[in-house]
Amino acid sequence: MDRDTAVRRLIAALPLAVLIVLVLVVTAKQPTFLGIRSIRTLLDGAAPILLLALGQTLVILTGGIDLSVAALASLGTVLLAKWLPGMGPGAIIAMLAALAFAGLLNGLACAYLQVPSFIVTLGAMGLWSGVSLSISGASTISITKGYDAIGWIRDLRLAQLPASFVLAALLAVLAAVVIRVFARGRLLHAMGLAERAALMSGVRTPRVRLAAFALSGLFAGLAALLLSASQFSGSPTLADALLLPTIAAVVVGGSAITGGVGGPLRTLVGALIIAVLRVGLSVVGVDPSYEQIVYGAVVIAAVALTLDRSRMGVVK
Amino acid sequence: MSTPVLQLRGITKRFPGVLALDDVSIEVRPHEVVGLIGENGAGKSTLLKILSGVYQPDSGELLVRGRPTRFRGPRDAARAGIGMVHQEQSLIGSVTVAENILLGAEGRSVRAGVYRWSDLNRRAKAQLDKIGSSIKPTAATDSLTFAQRQMVEVAKALAVEEQADHEPVIVLDEPTSVLEGADLETLFAQVQRLRGMASVIFVSHRLDEVLRVSDRVYVMKDGRCVAERDPKRVDVDELYRLMVGRESTGQYFREQEQRPVDGAEPLLVVEGLSKAGKYRDVSFTIRAGEVLGVAGVIGSGREDLCRTLFGAEGYDRGRITLAGRRVRFRSPADAVRAGIGYIPSERRVEGVAMGMSVRENILLADPRPVSVGPFLHPGRERRTVREWIDRLRIRTPGPDTDIGKLSGGNQQKVALAKWLNSPRLRVLILDHPTRGLDVGAKEDVYQFIRQMCGRGMGVLLLADTLEETIALSHTVLVMKDGQISARFDAAPGAKPSQVELVEQMV
Repeated sequence: MDRDTAVRRLIAALPLAVLIVLVLVVTAKQPTFLGIRSIRTLLDGAAPILLLALGQTLVILTGGIDLSVAALASLGTVLLAKWLPGMGPGAIIAMLAALAFAGLLNGLACAYLQVPSFIVTLGAMGLWSGVSLSISGASTISITKGYDAIGWIRDLRLAQLPASFVLAALLAVLAAVVIRVFARGRLLHAMGLAERAALMSGVRTPRVRLAAFALSGLFAGLAALLLSASQFSGSPTLADALLLPTIAAVVVGGSAITGGVGGPLRTLVGALIIAVLRVGLSVVGVDPSYEQIVYGAVVIAAVALTLDRSRMGVVK
Repeated sequence: MSTPVLQLRGITKRFPGVLALDDVSIEVRPHEVVGLIGENGAGKSTLLKILSGVYQPDSGELLVRGRPTRFRGPRDAARAGIGMVHQEQSLIGSVTVAENILLGAEGRSVRAGVYRWSDLNRRAKAQLDKIGSSIKPTAATDSLTFAQRQMVEVAKALAVEEQADHEPVIVLDEPTSVLEGADLETLFAQVQRLRGMASVIFVSHRLDEVLRVSDRVYVMKDGRCVAERDPKRVDVDELYRLMVGRESTGQYFREQEQRPVDGAEPLLVVEGLSKAGKYRDVSFTIRAGEVLGVAGVIGSGREDLCRTLFGAEGYDRGRITLAGRRVRFRSPADAVRAGIGYIPSERRVEGVAMGMSVRENILLADPRPVSVGPFLHPGRERRTVREWIDRLRIRTPGPDTDIGKLSGGNQQKVALAKWLNSPRLRVLILDHPTRGLDVGAKEDVYQFIRQMCGRGMGVLLLADTLEETIALSHTVLVMKDGQISARFDAAPGAKPSQVELVEQMV
């Protein structure tokens, strides 16, 4: 192993160190933090963030960003609430398909209309929020009939832990394995680092972009599933507050906001950091309404610390 | 003897893991053209960055007119009268020539944040007049040709004189690398003219040019200044030996390895290809084992032709047949699947994927040789990558090293390995494959071209120089204003002359 590789691995391990330190600090303040009940609460809250962040990771790896994930997840909860009573379990499939398709539309606009993903997904965020509002009549729809189709995910435990988080974590591992073992697994990274070189090597870069955005939509759908189950309802703003912690999870985990560096396992660590931070804040007595302030500061600080400015001519 | 305008004494610069400059001492005297040569990685760029104030040396002294000086940034260097003409042009396209020439040195031409255009244009014109250029200060920089922009860069470099109290030192970093024919002569004339009003440091990897224009030549190798020579008492062979550290082979282009292709099957047949505003009615055939060189000035349409054949640009009319089958590429991916490879001239952006490892770059075009179904076969991957690194003598710390850390020549070898790794490769398009490479790396590239032909591949070559085009090709096409203006057979021993080609180019 040469020096560069050693340095790179050390940097990659930093978020994990941060996570451990954070857990130790919170535990010192609140010894019950490592109890099973507290961990369950923590992981319950972490699961939707992790799912959204996984989709976000794929898009960020290609060098883009998906600002519409939270709005899509909110839309997903509304669709579930509307469709579950009539369609039963089929509503889940329909909702996931709808959200993956919405993600695909983002990708199409980026790849073929050549609009920057920042703008496309900012527009999509507003657009889908509006759709959610009008479908739901701007109110929360509680789910009673058909709830059983999604309710199992709320109560199921795997190895004493909430199944929602365990499954989300397994998805992260699965994504990491796919990237590792498939011959074309590193295309997302290639796109983020050197899209023109990938294109000129015969990579179908527009398809890679479409896939990343469609998967991001699909992951938002999975997050919507968890949120509806835990809230017994669908709401046009249910997931909206998750956008910032989602992006925070990706960058705190050590994936580069400029693309090409990072991966799902880093995001797993990042999502846990955000979850522990959330609990830690309440332990030290910070009002929950200040959470977004912390996330905002964390995103900026994490990017400021990790951005590889040598790759960019000018930072805009 | 008068005081040197610029002296570097014992300059040492260390980067993590590399000693980039090791005790380098050079001096530049008034009205002198100093040549600076060296292979890629010899330390030329680092030295220039120290001269322009971008890097600070770890130790050593910098004297301007005999006075020890420290440059804390590019501004200090400009104030000391050092003007840079960069290899990659650094003008801003969207503003006027005058704004570019006085960028950062507007001084009295800006009052209360507003340009005083008449003053700015007058000052810019003064600089342009010095080099006898008729470019208008008010012209949009975008509208100029490459060669014209270079003249603007020279004028901009000369403008440092306004800030310094003495004649400037102009540094020309690889000024000839993209010039051909008449533009090249203009530049040489310009260097002669500069000698009257400045001192010049002329950095190039083309040894004959350095010998032609310089009064003295410094040779750099492995971060050291290994020799100082008088061009009148040295020849290209000796410079080459000093620079590379081994004998020149003499048979640089390996012409003896050029095999006749008369009976070979046609690989790529292009008939009546046209694209509005770019090229029209282009027809040619590349046979198995043939190198087809295309010569032409910038704007002749040859670059667009290459990009069309690789599927990166469309065309309006015509027919492309590859190995007997009619093809129409909608994207580079189509072309790659049909067996066409492309080494683009913009190596750092399109040729190799910066930030990815050597291994990933080699497998980027076609991972199938190291795959089982959709899965990577780790053992086969390791062996294959190792094999390419050995076969092409790629100098890298390891297969997992970021390709950005390699020298230009080694990056280019990785780009070649990427295509050679694909079993379906039939035709390789080489767009300035040796641009910016040092002599040793060039020789390696020439050797690969011959080897590929030996394996029955076809090569379409847009070379860096006419010499290269003629020496490497079986057939040379000349393009002018989008059309083929001439076709030359170039069998070994019966090659056309550069003059014959130039006549058809302009």
